[in-house]
Amino acid sequence: MEHSPQRIVLAKIGLDGHDRGVKVVARGLRDAGFHVIYAGLWQPPEAVVQAVSDEDADWLGISILSGAHMTQVPRLLELLRESDLDDVGVIVGGIIPESDVHQLQQMGVAGVFGPGTPIREIIEFLGR
Amino acid sequence: MSDLNELVTRFQDKDRRALSRLLTMAAQPEQAEAVRAKFPHASGQGRVVAITGNAGVGKSSLIGQLVELLRKRGQTVAVLACDPESPLTGGALLGDRIRISRPADDPGLFIRSLAAKAGQQAVAENIGLMAEILSAFGFDVVLLETVGAGQGDTAVSQLADVLVLLLQPQTGDELQWEKSGLLEVADVVVVNKADLPGADQVQHQVHDQLNLPGGKVVPVLSASALQQEGMKELWTAIDTQPSGRQTLGDS
Amino acid sequence: MTADSSQPNQRWREEFQRSPRRDQPPTTVSGMEIEPLYGRGDVVDFADEETLGYPGQFPFVRGVHASMYRGRLWTMRQFSGFGTPSQSNRRFRFLLEKGQTGLSTAFDLPTLMGLDSDDPRSTGEVGRLGVATDTIDDFLELYAGIDLEQVSVSMTINAPAIVLMAFYLAAAEERGLDWKKLRGTIQNDILKEFHAQNEFVFPPVPSVRLVVDLIEFCTAQVPLWNTVSISGYHIREAGSTAVQELAFTLADGMHYVEQCVARGMNVDDFAPRLSFFFNAHNDLFEEVAKYRAARALWADAMRNRYGAKNEASWKLRVHAQTAGCSLQDKQPEVNLIRVAYQALAAVLGGCQSLHTNSMDETVALPSEHAVTLALRTQQVLAYETGVTNSVDPLGGSYFVEALTAQMQREAEVYFQRIEQAGGMIAAVEHGFFRREIAEAAVAYQKACDDKKKIIVGVNEFQQAEEKPLETLRIDEQVEQEQLASLARVKQGRNNGDVERTLDDLRRTADAQQNVFPTLLAAARARATMGEMVNALADVFGRYNTGAAW
Repeated sequence: MEHSPQRIVLAKIGLDGHDRGVKVVARGLRDAGFHVIYAGLWQPPEAVVQAVSDEDADWLGISILSGAHMTQVPRLLELLRESDLDDVGVIVGGIIPESDVHQLQQMGVAGVFGPGTPIREIIEFLGR
Repeated sequence: MSDLNELVTRFQDKDRRALSRLLTMAAQPEQAEAVRAKFPHASGQGRVVAITGNAGVGKSSLIGQLVELLRKRGQTVAVLACDPESPLTGGALLGDRIRISRPADDPGLFIRSLAAKAGQQAVAENIGLMAEILSAFGFDVVLLETVGAGQGDTAVSQLADVLVLLLQPQTGDELQWEKSGLLEVADVVVVNKADLPGADQVQHQVHDQLNLPGGKVVPVLSASALQQEGMKELWTAIDTQPSGRQTLGDS
Repeated sequence: MTADSSQPNQRWREEFQRSPRRDQPPTTVSGMEIEPLYGRGDVVDFADEETLGYPGQFPFVRGVHASMYRGRLWTMRQFSGFGTPSQSNRRFRFLLEKGQTGLSTAFDLPTLMGLDSDDPRSTGEVGRLGVATDTIDDFLELYAGIDLEQVSVSMTINAPAIVLMAFYLAAAEERGLDWKKLRGTIQNDILKEFHAQNEFVFPPVPSVRLVVDLIEFCTAQVPLWNTVSISGYHIREAGSTAVQELAFTLADGMHYVEQCVARGMNVDDFAPRLSFFFNAHNDLFEEVAKYRAARALWADAMRNRYGAKNEASWKLRVHAQTAGCSLQDKQPEVNLIRVAYQALAAVLGGCQSLHTNSMDETVALPSEHAVTLALRTQQVLAYETGVTNSVDPLGGSYFVEALTAQMQREAEVYFQRIEQAGGMIAAVEHGFFRREIAEAAVAYQKACDDKKKIIVGVNEFQQAEEKPLETLRIDEQVEQEQLASLARVKQGRNNGDVERTLDDLRRTADAQQNVFPTLLAAARARATMGEMVNALADVFGRYNTGAAW
């Protein structure tokens, strides 16, 4: 029996516009059979959560390179909880110092992936 | 199926999350039948408009412009945006959301991105049912974006109130659509990318071809989504088409 | 591959065929295939005087100046800026003391996007990746105590570049400095934002118009100022190949030239002040060939296509920066080594100024220690390696000359493709550049994931325990301080005056007049950057990233 492909929303929150990483990940996930919904750049957390809800996504991937992750990500997680989207897995990619990774995971982020993480690693993680 | 009943109850209370879950169920072959029973064809009030045309013709930019126009006029809009699925991997890049630039929490806009199997006549699985659900939820307009027109029971011309076909100058795609029979079935034809050379010729030629004396009147317009031209005229042409989705649904 | 029927050549071929092959394909970082050996046969049209020429003469392949580093070293210009204007001012003075010879200013994300520090979207981003500036007073603070008539200043800003240039000039004027003596560069290259970096506000056509307004004003009023730094750096960072970096950058430059000429400007008036900014990536020879090809292509375009008569108009002057995208967070000290080789490439390629990245830049803005080492990298290169002793030392190398010619040819193919796509603006709007770059980025990632390209410490030679680097943490106070200082300016100013200047700005924008003078008036009245950008947006509209991704 065919199982439906997993749906993942990819977005960049905050003002940072560097999208090389998120575009490469998007294509890598597509090649692994995911349905990748790109929500774009400069998205306020509210817009991202609306997208996750309306698209009924299984996962949310946030790319954040500006260093503002410790203010933006908690807000996002809070909004997801408020919208009854707790079962959506959240992964974060970008420039996150080691010391913040643990904290983010404590907050509820399922996985944090630094620059240069092989796509295969992200795919395996999402498959679990 | 108490799960389904609960969702339908919440849906009737205008719970957007329930709407979202029902759409997902409608997209899955195993669950669609049960959902279909709750949403009879052509029962929703919202107008269903299908926008079709080849890849690259500019459907999503055009839809973005129409959404902008409709929202400014206070109409609520739902969009079913389709992109092709990779035949090899089954994966898809669904990037049409970003063509529609509206404020974050615009409650009058709903976008669901779908993947359709690759191929010229492809429509996303159960897209007609999904459009019905959105129409029933209360959106004034439901825009369906499809690459193809489907065949037989999945024909988009039957699922939508209005079928809009987008053509592009310099590609000869009007010939291709004529061959497939869709040119005759379209309610409105738009020559997109009107700024490119050849647009005028295509427009006149197709207009004459489709508007034979004594026959059906088919508006053939030109538009440029990038320059935001022709959108008002296009919507007027769409809005003045008679309503009434055919009584057949998807298989 | 060089082929002749001589016996030594035959023998070489046979021995080469019999030898083992390594796993990694012999391609450049960009994926260009390289022959095992180059010889005279590969540079058939090689003719000293004509094709290659001399340094300081058309086509400038060998360098834009006759003496190059024999006469004067490249400018060691480290990009910096963070926090409040006064914090950046301190870092500037620190660097000048350590021997840096020019200043390069990095602005924070809100500023880059045309937002004031007190805009709701700026929360959490103020002063993080660069200095926060909102008004003319911030510019007075930022360069306080620095003699701008002596020190050349570069500002890395694009969408609101014209607004910041107005602040800079208005501040210089208040300090009693002579505009005619100010030296520096403003990046002001909006086209590459649409291709790669996404720091745009307005749609392409009005955005380019603002670039031209700045060129027009400064060409007349600030004659020593480089009005645009036509950039390939960011295009490369987005994942493009070296040829794409070369071709797209030059195509952007040519578009600006065409727009200025269409405005009625004389090419020889503004062209000498157009400058370029390229990436310095890992593949040494590909980079050297790229810079040399760039000089030849630009000289040809300027002289033969645009009819420039002044030799200064033909010269492509380059600021280079080592590749940020090549820095790794695993074993970050290895980045020191990467940067050293990349700097070598930039210098062998004949750059006019250079920024070397710090080793810890993948995790945070550089610490003082790391930034000092980055500067020392340039100093060792300049004083200890001997590469500065002769001009264009790689000139005449079979490999380098063959590669230079090849890159030129491939860039020309791109110029044709852009024409076919309907020209620069049409190509931008239909996503041509973005698609090309995204495909290259995906191909590169795949090569790395498949270990066809080895990255030391990342997909090979990994180390288990990592020693955490001491990194710079931006103080949370910065945002509060900047907000307070902005509030003070707003309180102290005459809002009626500000409103009037903004109305004038909207009027000149709408009337297709050069907006620079009205921006200056607004700057002097203490209008904020955000207010000026919003006024322009009222006329030009805003652009979203609808184009292909």
